Amino acid sequence: MKILKSWLKDYIEFDLSDNEIDDKLTFSGTLVDSYVSGLDQNVIIAKIIDIKKHPNADRLKLVTITDGQKKYDIVCGADNIKVDQIVPFAKLGTKLGDFEIKKISIRGVESSGMLCSEKELGISENHEGIMILNSDYQLGKPLADYLDNDTVFDLEITPNRGDCLSHLGIARELSAVLHKKYRREPITLNSGAETASSKISVSISDKTLCPKYYARYIKNVNIGPSPKWLQDRLLKLGLKPINNVVDITNYIMLDLGQPLHAFDANKIEGNSIQVRRAKPGEEILTLDNESRKLSKNVLVIADSKKPIAIAGVMGGGNSEISETTKDIILEAAIFDRKNIRKTSKDLGIVTEASYRFERGIDFAGVEYAINKAAKMISELASGAVLSGIVKDEELDKEVLIPIEYEKINDLIGTDISPQETNSILKWLGFEITDSCAKVPSWRQDLQIWQDLAEEVARIYGFSNIEFKPIPKIDPPKKSEFYYKEYLKDLLVDQGFTEVFNYSFLSELDSKVIGLNTSELLEVINPIQQDIKYLRNSLIPGLLKSIAKNPTFDPILVFEIGNVFNKNEEKITLSIATSGKNARSYIEKAVEIIRNNFKFSADQLAINELTREELTRFKIKKPISYTVEVELNDIKKLAKFKEDIQLNIPEKSIHYRPISKYPSVTRDLAFVLDQKIKNDELIDQMYSTSNSVSRVELFDEYKSDKLGKNKKSIAFHIYMQEMDRTMTDEEANKIVKKIIKIVENTYQAKLRD
Amino acid sequence: MVKGNLHPVTQLIRKAVKFFESYGFDVFEGPEVDSEWYNFDALNIAADHPSRDVQDTFWLKDGKLLRTQTSNSQVRYGETHKPPIRAIVPGICYRNEATDSGHEVMFMQLEGLYIDKKVNMGQLFWILDEFYKSFYGPETKIRFRPHHFPFTEPSLEFELKFQGKWFELGGAGMVHPKVIENMGIDPDKYCGFAFGPGIERPIMIKYGISDIRLFRSGDLRFLKQF
Repeated sequence: MKILKSWLKDYIEFDLSDNEIDDKLTFSGTLVDSYVSGLDQNVIIAKIIDIKKHPNADRLKLVTITDGQKKYDIVCGADNIKVDQIVPFAKLGTKLGDFEIKKISIRGVESSGMLCSEKELGISENHEGIMILNSDYQLGKPLADYLDNDTVFDLEITPNRGDCLSHLGIARELSAVLHKKYRREPITLNSGAETASSKISVSISDKTLCPKYYARYIKNVNIGPSPKWLQDRLLKLGLKPINNVVDITNYIMLDLGQPLHAFDANKIEGNSIQVRRAKPGEEILTLDNESRKLSKNVLVIADSKKPIAIAGVMGGGNSEISETTKDIILEAAIFDRKNIRKTSKDLGIVTEASYRFERGIDFAGVEYAINKAAKMISELASGAVLSGIVKDEELDKEVLIPIEYEKINDLIGTDISPQETNSILKWLGFEITDSCAKVPSWRQDLQIWQDLAEEVARIYGFSNIEFKPIPKIDPPKKSEFYYKEYLKDLLVDQGFTEVFNYSFLSELDSKVIGLNTSELLEVINPIQQDIKYLRNSLIPGLLKSIAKNPTFDPILVFEIGNVFNKNEEKITLSIATSGKNARSYIEKAVEIIRNNFKFSADQLAINELTREELTRFKIKKPISYTVEVELNDIKKLAKFKEDIQLNIPEKSIHYRPISKYPSVTRDLAFVLDQKIKNDELIDQMYSTSNSVSRVELFDEYKSDKLGKNKKSIAFHIYMQEMDRTMTDEEANKIVKKIIKIVENTYQAKLRD
Repeated sequence: MVKGNLHPVTQLIRKAVKFFESYGFDVFEGPEVDSEWYNFDALNIAADHPSRDVQDTFWLKDGKLLRTQTSNSQVRYGETHKPPIRAIVPGICYRNEATDSGHEVMFMQLEGLYIDKKVNMGQLFWILDEFYKSFYGPETKIRFRPHHFPFTEPSLEFELKFQGKWFELGGAGMVHPKVIENMGIDPDKYCGFAFGPGIERPIMIKYGISDIRLFRSGDLRFLKQF
């Protein structure tokens, strides 16, 4: 939800920077997603007094300007500037978005600031040239003084906080955080002798669905555009101005959080407004020009003949305000949250109004909202407000929560005094009597003492809560998890790489591996219509992984994951090998697993893919094998007795993004002392250049023939550029550098 | 000689398990296909409340769903164990959302659950702080800000400062008494904390990985770097 800084100031005085507001709100529970600040005060109005050519660049100019007192020399590239023009000038230190103006030298000449285009100032998309001002703009003054200079905050309001969906609501939050009172101007309405109740009546048939319905009658309105200030506020928050009456109802909603609706009184048949469930067969053409059939669950506002609005969701076309509207009925009501949610879901309409009703409205704020709107309509649309509010309602419900001072401290881990707790709650609008808190009328999310604990904690400040260690105790018995991880280590030791694939299978995947889809679980709302099954095998995923990596040979991959069918979810291991020595790798893997776990040969049967299957999965390598086995009883199948420990790989990782461009490979072999760790050497190679994308050890042996205590190690070194294909020359340069560093650091010798 | 590699997610999960086992946390892995009860209702997320809308759910034809959070295991674990309870649940979660470099339909969470007498928020802050320090180093800074989850009260989100920038890591809070009650445990006697940060994100932050979809890409150029 968007909030304007200037609008908050209608309710509460504060002298905070945008950043401070961001902090205060975010760390008290109202997350500020982002904000767009008004223009920096360092952008001032200046006049050009001299323009010269730049000595070293034809397209640049040396411009001298004055702010009325001081002169500045700047370098500028715009074509549209002339002597005597009035222009916006960004002084050193100005922040324009993320960009800060600093003293720089442009082609050998220093520039102490910048002349700005409208785009640079964030005023428009115009980047054609420097913004030219007229002589009304006074030299030396901040440009911001002449512009509408407001900050728009974009807030994430959690679903429990319907009360924060307005400027008043956010002002209340600031008030609690800053311990500063907010004020709501009292409304005085001038109405004549004629009463609203002489024009209309209101009745609610079911007060659980509508606990409160207020209406005012306003005569002789002049429908027309709203004044600029009102349109501006709506526009800045993303609402389109329509006409004065509709704009005022929208304005009040953003202002106070109370959705309002205005009906054209002369389009209403009879003189009674009924709030009731829709009757069988009833339909309504809503304001979005859709004809909607209404079920009996839908609450409607009706005149004596027909529905004129879907309560709390959208008005009807049959009672819409138009240019010719003279008299209006203004509605302010509270509707049941659950029913509004259901209606909105059933009809597929979410409006600003339904969104707020679903999240709860301040039941004590209805009268103020309708009065403020009526006053604005009388002032801005010259309407005559008839005396009195026509209403039907049930008694407001009070929520009282006993304050468990000690339990609250125990739960937060603090030692806050009862006085401070009370003070925090009072600033939040609670009324406190005898250790009991009466929940403010605008908060419908609070029922239990734990809710109060959250209120106290967030205003007290999470950053003031002391960290407290929890006691160490003996680790529990090792669960299945540990055995799975052990199995992974066995495979990784054999050269296998662990992959994670998606749990979804397409129709095509199931055909390719000949699955009977009737046994598969099916997603009702898949991401793509054809990818709707849940996998009952990990093999299709592994085969796709093989197909995706044609440059690797051999490919040794495995996955441990859950597979599904209509009856159960099973944890499963699948292994696949492809390419060079694929058969011996998978045989070795099976052997190692069987050495450690009591699987039968059948359970770990090796399947060779047919040529046809390989083609279907677009695998280019001639041979591939797979094994798949359930792991549900893995713990019982373990042959080893010792306590199982988790192995944490401690190798250093040098992450390099994957380039779209091909990499260059070189092989290097060195002879060096056996004591030198391979990992250290690999680290060294990565650090040589960011273009080194992969270093792979592929051969290592020790022999006295190489010299005493020497070993030979050989690496594949892959190099790449992110934005182009690396040339041989570039690769050779890096390789040379690596050789030099390795030879010098480790007294190593390069082998031919 | 081909070198094998553990998936980067596995590596982080192992570090997490190693850290939490020293404080007595059991490892539990709940089902990925679960009922509406365990995934939503038992966690105080009523169908008629807008908090349901926060997570886009994959529904199955048989009425079940793909869990949207590892929190589905809170009540499952709680109803089969007596307090004191200390458990972590690493696992896959599913969200029916449009994917981009920051969003995936499948991602991993690390659920943590701690239920005992007189557990407090200061302890929750402490253990999260310690854990991320063990992963990123002792200079690591974690901060907390209030948030809302129906299954915790108070609720919070936490952020990590890495190379001068703050990154959101996930949510946590004090387990809601209704959730404790749904475990069959007396909420007047016991309370606790729970947390459920993502697993991919800390890895992305640490190594500068810009696209979450790489984790399930099967691309060996990515996986063989870990």
